[in-house]
Amino acid sequence: MALPGSVIKQLARIVGDQHVVHSPNDLRIFERDGSITGAVPEAIVLPANRDEVVEVVKLAAKNRIPIVPRGAGTGLSGGAITLRGGIALQLTRMRRIVEIDPIARTATVEPGVVNADLQHAVGRQGLFYAPDPSSQKACTIGGNAAENSGGPHCLYYGVTTNHVIGLEVVFADGSVAWLGGDAPDRVGLDLLGVMVGSEGTLGTITRIKVKLLRLPEAVVTLMAAFPTVDTASHAVSDVIGHGIVPAALEMMDRVTIGAVEAHYRAGYPVDAGAVLLVEVDGLRESCNELAGAIERILHTNEATGLRIAADAEERELLWAGRKGAIGALGRIRPNYYLHDGVVPRTRLPDVLRRVTEIGDHYRLPVANVFHAGDGNLHPNILFDLRDDGVMDQVEKAGEEMLYAVVELGGTLSGEHGIGIEKNAFMPWIYGPDDLDAMLRVKQVFDPTGQLNPGKIFPDPDREPATLRARAGFCSEAQWW
Amino acid sequence: MVVDGLVPVRVEKPSTAEEVAGLLRAAAEAGEAIVPVGGGRALGFGNPLERFDVALEMLGLNRVIEMSQGDMTVSVEAGVTVEELNAELAKVGQFVPIDPFNAPGHTVGGVLAAGLSGPLRMRYGSPREFVIGLRVALPDGRLASSGGRVVKNVSGYDLNKLHQGALGSMGVIVAASFKVFPRPLHEVTLEARTRDGWTEAARALELPMPPVALELTSDGRLLVRLAGTRDAVRRMARELGWPEAPDEVWSEHSRRGGRVWARVSVPPGKLREVVETFGERATWWASPGVGVAHWVGDIDAEGVQLARAAAERTGGTLVLIAASVDLKRQVGTWGSPPATLPWMLRLRDAFDPKRTLSPGRYLS
Repeated sequence: MALPGSVIKQLARIVGDQHVVHSPNDLRIFERDGSITGAVPEAIVLPANRDEVVEVVKLAAKNRIPIVPRGAGTGLSGGAITLRGGIALQLTRMRRIVEIDPIARTATVEPGVVNADLQHAVGRQGLFYAPDPSSQKACTIGGNAAENSGGPHCLYYGVTTNHVIGLEVVFADGSVAWLGGDAPDRVGLDLLGVMVGSEGTLGTITRIKVKLLRLPEAVVTLMAAFPTVDTASHAVSDVIGHGIVPAALEMMDRVTIGAVEAHYRAGYPVDAGAVLLVEVDGLRESCNELAGAIERILHTNEATGLRIAADAEERELLWAGRKGAIGALGRIRPNYYLHDGVVPRTRLPDVLRRVTEIGDHYRLPVANVFHAGDGNLHPNILFDLRDDGVMDQVEKAGEEMLYAVVELGGTLSGEHGIGIEKNAFMPWIYGPDDLDAMLRVKQVFDPTGQLNPGKIFPDPDREPATLRARAGFCSEAQWW
Repeated sequence: MVVDGLVPVRVEKPSTAEEVAGLLRAAAEAGEAIVPVGGGRALGFGNPLERFDVALEMLGLNRVIEMSQGDMTVSVEAGVTVEELNAELAKVGQFVPIDPFNAPGHTVGGVLAAGLSGPLRMRYGSPREFVIGLRVALPDGRLASSGGRVVKNVSGYDLNKLHQGALGSMGVIVAASFKVFPRPLHEVTLEARTRDGWTEAARALELPMPPVALELTSDGRLLVRLAGTRDAVRRMARELGWPEAPDEVWSEHSRRGGRVWARVSVPPGKLREVVETFGERATWWASPGVGVAHWVGDIDAEGVQLARAAAERTGGTLVLIAASVDLKRQVGTWGSPPATLPWMLRLRDAFDPKRTLSPGRYLS
């Protein structure tokens, strides 16, 4: 597929020649995101500002060309894939931090600002932005808002939607509006809340206003080893059952620990069945008391080798192992398929048992590294794409794992989104009336279906084969 | 039952979600206007009703559907009151931080539909931040769920947000699921009386561990609630230096309300200048850390317009939570419509094409 030359010319007129990519070879660069599937766009357009986005969207509307907004392309559910061709609207040139207001504790940014860059900028003023996806060194705030991203510290602080207070959006017809704002209550429907996490299917985000928090006075990070995933899961429930909600509460299983330790030498005990990373922050007094209480609870749950990071450097190292775990798994198999599901926290032992059984059944190694406190699991199916027919097995295994999650009262995605990875499974968690309500919203904002088509909603016509494109190599990606 | 001077033709008292959906559908098919009524604590909120045929009493939907201590989630039907919900959760040392004014007696459905919040919003945010699932009856007789019973969920559109604060204009909430919170390990309430309440409030807000609630009243009273570990709370209390007060001050405070009642919501840094437009003798209470103030008593159209203009200049709002029909007709409940009103009207038409749900109250 290719766009007519006249459209390419008009696009070039809007954003400049050098910011329209349309040669077949160059287009392939944008075929993929962080998911296991791909599709080649018909053009990549890199607007410099909101007004250029408006012009591109209007042109696309006039010519019925699909628009797929795209940030860093780290998404894991195929949200940035141009499934039906059209324009990949690459927003990474819009990367200005427009304003940091240390008094009101807000920041206004363009969508292409990288999460970690915002963290660094506000950190200098003693502030932080809470959502911290593990891909934060690459992923953008615009993408975070579109996907409603999470991260380890969302256990205490909440996910992206709890921290975005305003969005500037370009709608499908090219009109622009600010949703939300600095005042706590708005008059009218909460369009801001609906737009966050809508995966680019309702509009294109061109500016984001976020809440900032003050950096805590103290942080304590604990690591503890457990004989099994089961015992570690019980420890998680026990900590929270004691009325303690740590800032983060993360688990890694034996497979992950081995790979991470070989790669990072973070000091993880390689003979353990599972490792928990627990972090508390706040006043010095709170941290000491909470860390002490957590230590006692973990000990009663068979924890061994309990360690408290002595300084910031050691803490960074413990976190580097956690956040870089997926890359490290490349030592085991060159490819991975990272899943995302959430169960009620107390069902973690059950679901992890099922995950192991499914992995064993398909003879695929599975590494678990996830946000245990939230019940948000990330089973990682490891494989080698060069093995004949392996993709079929990987997909079947993943589907069975997700099904187990849903059977245990859980949901399809906690932070990666639905995209084209899981849209076919939406009927597992939503009935026809539930999906119909969502479709009504879609039809109001995008009646012609041009905004990121083929995402979120199940598509009865979809060829299953389109899911089985090339899988990403671990060496290429450090995120999950 | 009288709302905005109108008396319904009949009162329905459903006890299941399916009955609610059936009644909505019947009303829509008959071209009737139906108005859900929960605890009746915010019945006057919104512009005057255009029509009122059926009152839909929701108190019969009073089941706790599921409470899971270990998962820290709870699902209840919409007619359960906030007090009933928290009494259940208290048995396991947990709570939902919903503390609307004009309490007690708000139902869960009512408080969510009206978008009400109270002092604890300072720490926990409004219910928007911890509602994890909703079930809503629609005028075509369907029951649509959004979200789920897990604390983290990005599966599909977050329609939980669409219905909160929509005053029942998009559907009638029949059940809700919440992320719940553990009761704080230690908690203390302090109270100060001071001439310069705003400055003292600002000092409290800058504590390294900010209060979970901070209220300032027009008679110079400051109430603060500190929560956390024992030593941390003690240190903050010492830094603040205010005397301790009994916990009961909060339930007493939560009973505040008025027959004429305006709520101002502005960026927190602008709250003081907007509250000053109420006049020196006005009765008000405010959450300086949130940017919300409630103004009750002797409020006339001119006063509303003055304060509303000041609020809207800051990007905020002044809405009438309660007022006479006359006052509502004179100045309107909502103030200037948002620029996105056309989108909102299209959404409403997609969910309530025949204007069955509380017509006139919300978007117009």
